[in-house]
Amino acid sequence: MTTLRRYLSLLLIATLVLGSLPVAAAPQAGNGGLVGTQAALDAEHTSDARERIHDVLARDDVREQLMAQGVDPADVEARVAALSDAEAEQMADRLDEMPAGASVVGALFAVFVILLVTDILGLTNVFPFTR
Amino acid sequence: MFYLASQRLQNARLAGVLLLGLVLLLGGCAATPRLSENAAQTLPAQVFIQDVPFHGQRDYQCGPASLAMALEHQGVDTSVEALIPQVFLPGREGSVQPEMLAAVRRQGRIPFVIDNRFEALLTELDAGRPVVVLQNLALPAWPLWHYAVAIGYDRDTNELTLHSGETPERIESFRRFDATWARSDRWAFVVLTPGELPTAIDAGGAIDATAAFERVQGAQAALPAWEAIATRFPQAAMAHFAVGNARHATGDRGGAIAAFRRAVSRQEDLAVAWLNLGLALDERGNTEAAREALQKAADQTGPWQERARRALASLDNRPRHGP
Repeated sequence: MTTLRRYLSLLLIATLVLGSLPVAAAPQAGNGGLVGTQAALDAEHTSDARERIHDVLARDDVREQLMAQGVDPADVEARVAALSDAEAEQMADRLDEMPAGASVVGALFAVFVILLVTDILGLTNVFPFTR
Repeated sequence: MFYLASQRLQNARLAGVLLLGLVLLLGGCAATPRLSENAAQTLPAQVFIQDVPFHGQRDYQCGPASLAMALEHQGVDTSVEALIPQVFLPGREGSVQPEMLAAVRRQGRIPFVIDNRFEALLTELDAGRPVVVLQNLALPAWPLWHYAVAIGYDRDTNELTLHSGETPERIESFRRFDATWARSDRWAFVVLTPGELPTAIDAGGAIDATAAFERVQGAQAALPAWEAIATRFPQAAMAHFAVGNARHATGDRGGAIAAFRRAVSRQEDLAVAWLNLGLALDERGNTEAAREALQKAADQTGPWQERARRALASLDNRPRHGP
């Protein structure tokens, strides 16, 4: 029971702290307190406070994932900073499923044959010699 | 990229059955893409963009190579080597879409994802803009994702020209290209200097792309893009709102107020524009007009109501100047 309570209070603290972050992070300095364009768009897209907390967490998540994928730690920060909120969220949620453009043929024979046939049919474009 | 290796086919018979199934399944899908009547009439028969530099990819670097080609065409001084640490994911041995766009922003150019239609691609090429496309050269089950740069087309022969992989000016039939492109849901983007807009884009897409750019490069760099969007889509209240913010951030307060006014005239219930209009008017000492605008914002329920009320209250509590 005590453990549960401790977890709950930790969770509550984290939620409250994070909940106040987007406001603190909003780019207000130098703009006379006007509401920024990105903040206005975000408010249009996400009305839910929980989703806004998610935005903040997403960038941390992407940072970790890039490291795990072998990106040089010196490059990670600039890469994360150049993402839009929506992109950061997509990457946090489903980087593993995202298509990664690379174009290298790893070949298993059966697959090779299938792709050869679909190439000849003009459905795919794996082997240059089928054209 | 090694989905292939993870697949184990039991024996040749199974492969045969699968093959037959695939052919039946996919045989009907691929056809030469058709153009709308309007596009068919207005698009020229042949387009070729002459001055797109070519960079052959090595290993898995079709992402950085495609980016380098599109960026250099836009006058950015960069190289494949410089772009690799910005987009390449060693663990995936490739580059993902969001990071391709993010890398463009870092070079001071705006990536616009264009409409996912075949004629959108031809329209951009006709306007002289190379288009970075994402193809799956193989099949959905064993994807072979690939970035290339479309640089021209020929409607007489139904062929597209691309800088692709190790081949400059590679020719692909419309039919085969579209079959491979459709597997990425026809994902494509153009790289433009702020102030230029693609033809094949809607207001929402242009606004989101520019907001993401502004986040990275700041209001000064984004202002020409916002002005262009407000000119192209004069009815988009959010575009005028963004123009107002960018003008304000660069010190043009009068211009900002004019833009906020345009925003609320296009969409009367855009509370956030009323709020910024009120704050900007107040800064210039125009208290009465500011009060009016803030009242409009405070009257509407939503995320900005509380802030508008606070601004209104501080306006009323302030000691009054003048007579």
